[in-house]
Amino acid sequence: MRRLRPSLDRLAPVLDRFAPIYDRLTGRSIAVRLAVSALFWSFVILLIAGLILSTLYRDNTEKAFDQRLLVYANTLASNLVAPGDPDRDLGPVGDPRFELPLSGWYWQVGRPGAAPVDIRSSKSLFGGQLPSLAPPDSKDFGKVRRGYGHAPDDRELRVIERDIDVGEDGRFIIRVAGPADEISTASRQFVFALVVTFTLLGLALGFTTLLQIRFGLRPLSDLRGALGAIRRGEADRVVGEYPRDIAPLATDLNLLLDTNREILDRARTQVGNLAHALKTPLSIVVNEAENAPDEVAVRIREQAGLMRDQVNYYLDRARAAALAGTLGTLTDVEPVIAGLTRTFAKIYRDKDLEIDMAITPGLRFRGERQDFEEMAGNLIDNAAKWATGRVLVEATANREDPQRPRLVLAVEDDGPGLPEGGRVEMLKRGRRLDETKPGSGLGLSIVTDLAALYGGTLRLDVSSLGGLKAVLELPGGQN
Amino acid sequence: MRLLVVEDDQTLNKQIVTALEQAGYAVDHAFDGEEGQFLGETEPYDAAILDLGLPNVDGVSVLNAWRREGRKMPVIILTARDRWSDKVQGFDAGADDYVTKPFHMEELLARVRALLRRATGHATSEISCGPVKLDTRSGRVAVDGNPIKLTSHEYRLLSYLMHHTGRIVSRGELTEHLYDQDFDRDSNTIEVFIGRLRKKLGVDIIQTVRGLGYLLDTGQTRT
Repeated sequence: MRRLRPSLDRLAPVLDRFAPIYDRLTGRSIAVRLAVSALFWSFVILLIAGLILSTLYRDNTEKAFDQRLLVYANTLASNLVAPGDPDRDLGPVGDPRFELPLSGWYWQVGRPGAAPVDIRSSKSLFGGQLPSLAPPDSKDFGKVRRGYGHAPDDRELRVIERDIDVGEDGRFIIRVAGPADEISTASRQFVFALVVTFTLLGLALGFTTLLQIRFGLRPLSDLRGALGAIRRGEADRVVGEYPRDIAPLATDLNLLLDTNREILDRARTQVGNLAHALKTPLSIVVNEAENAPDEVAVRIREQAGLMRDQVNYYLDRARAAALAGTLGTLTDVEPVIAGLTRTFAKIYRDKDLEIDMAITPGLRFRGERQDFEEMAGNLIDNAAKWATGRVLVEATANREDPQRPRLVLAVEDDGPGLPEGGRVEMLKRGRRLDETKPGSGLGLSIVTDLAALYGGTLRLDVSSLGGLKAVLELPGGQN
Repeated sequence: MRLLVVEDDQTLNKQIVTALEQAGYAVDHAFDGEEGQFLGETEPYDAAILDLGLPNVDGVSVLNAWRREGRKMPVIILTARDRWSDKVQGFDAGADDYVTKPFHMEELLARVRALLRRATGHATSEISCGPVKLDTRSGRVAVDGNPIKLTSHEYRLLSYLMHHTGRIVSRGELTEHLYDQDFDRDSNTIEVFIGRLRKKLGVDIIQTVRGLGYLLDTGQTRT
């Protein structure tokens, strides 16, 4: 542990440097989080498995090599204990490589502490000495010892030593050595094969992980799609079958949407009731005032008119504010404008007014029908009041920003129009630049307020027909 | 001219009825949608004023029912709901005009006059027939520029005939359109009023078509 702590301390700054990258990667999406963590842990596990396997393989290779050396050592030992001239040649041991000079395969038999001239060895050793693994007379005498050393030509050797006591003849140390590069070459080849295999395995794991993530997260991505459709107003509920893990979420979302709509409907009904409750008594007051003395009647009428306008304005605001942020409503533009055109044709039937409309097919407003009707109605009403003979209602889609498609409603008239300063003034609340036409002056400011609640804008311009051109931009687009 | 007012608020209903009666119309009234629908379907009104927020049956349903039954009288919707969506719904249901509360009675009367004129094919508020001029706005009648004083019933009779110049108007039709449903109807009184009118006007523009009714001489009619 004590040795591990400094390593961890050194690792900490490195991890700190990677932390923001990890956060940035994983903060984006669950899929990335899953992919990054799955790939990271797959890499770590493969690395550890690789290290363990290569170590095990090297150990096994070493043991097998040692086993071969031990067979030669045992042959030498049996030759040594066989009756006969003690100085006779102990070889061959069954492998011609011991006869080839400096072949890397050597054996050597000597007494502990014997002078080099008393030592017998394979011809391959060419009079050289094999390295000693244990000092003579050590407590390990009698055991097979294994180790590495260097040949006279400096090649690295795997060496085993075996002690043998032949009774009267005393003790001998048998050393057999083989080239260590046979072990390291086999290990290297194994590690190379392991790296190739594990790389392919890692790639396959990564690919299947990605497939699993894609498959596993599909319900979430479907849910996201369903929510997107609601936000875009293409659907009013979360539709589709979801696994039981997230099915309650979809159900709760639908409940939330339903509750939202119910609240909205209740608010709308209550606003309608409030309007009725306030305006009917107001009508009675106004009509009673008709019979009052002139001065009183005028004042009551004036104040009642103001009250009506204020009631209208704040009721509209209250209703519209309740709508802000409502999801999942989409209104077809064409039928709304067609309905309004029919209505205005009746309202202004004595005026000989031509109301033309040019609506791009499939155009939709992302919001409540009543609000779109209110905005378009006020604009067309304003245009119809001032027009001398013609009103043009044009609705198109604006796709400049693909993320935020817009609906553009332009209402133009051939009336007197407004100078530039007047057009700015006109949009202010309750502003009326000409008192000769009926109205509260709240129409355009209601449009501005409603449009703002939907993230839209209203601007006034000069019409090619000669009068005013009101351009309303709202969230929406083409189907 | 006989009108129907369907408004659930009793005070406002009374105010409208009084104002219309003072303007020379025969007026029936109802306080809920059911009664209003029944009256509109069974009585021959020249126009109706209809509230949208009515008990029992709402105004739009009443209007739809009238139009389904083939009742073509002009209808003014009178309501506190002044959103364009409400107006579009009302006009699509067959309304001819829309007045939002609170309103000035003068405005409502002007709309009623305009609708009645339009329904009978007259473009201005002044209807002429030979030397006789009837100003629907002020309720004044003049012959050769000299004002004539008429009683309420005489005015209603002349107004109805002048609104329907060029066609024979039966006594029964006059009875139906000049009196509200509570009035004790007697067609003989029509003859009495016709006689009085002829006498007060001093010009014989009202022709009796034997067995059929009365006809205002179209040859002399200008609008």
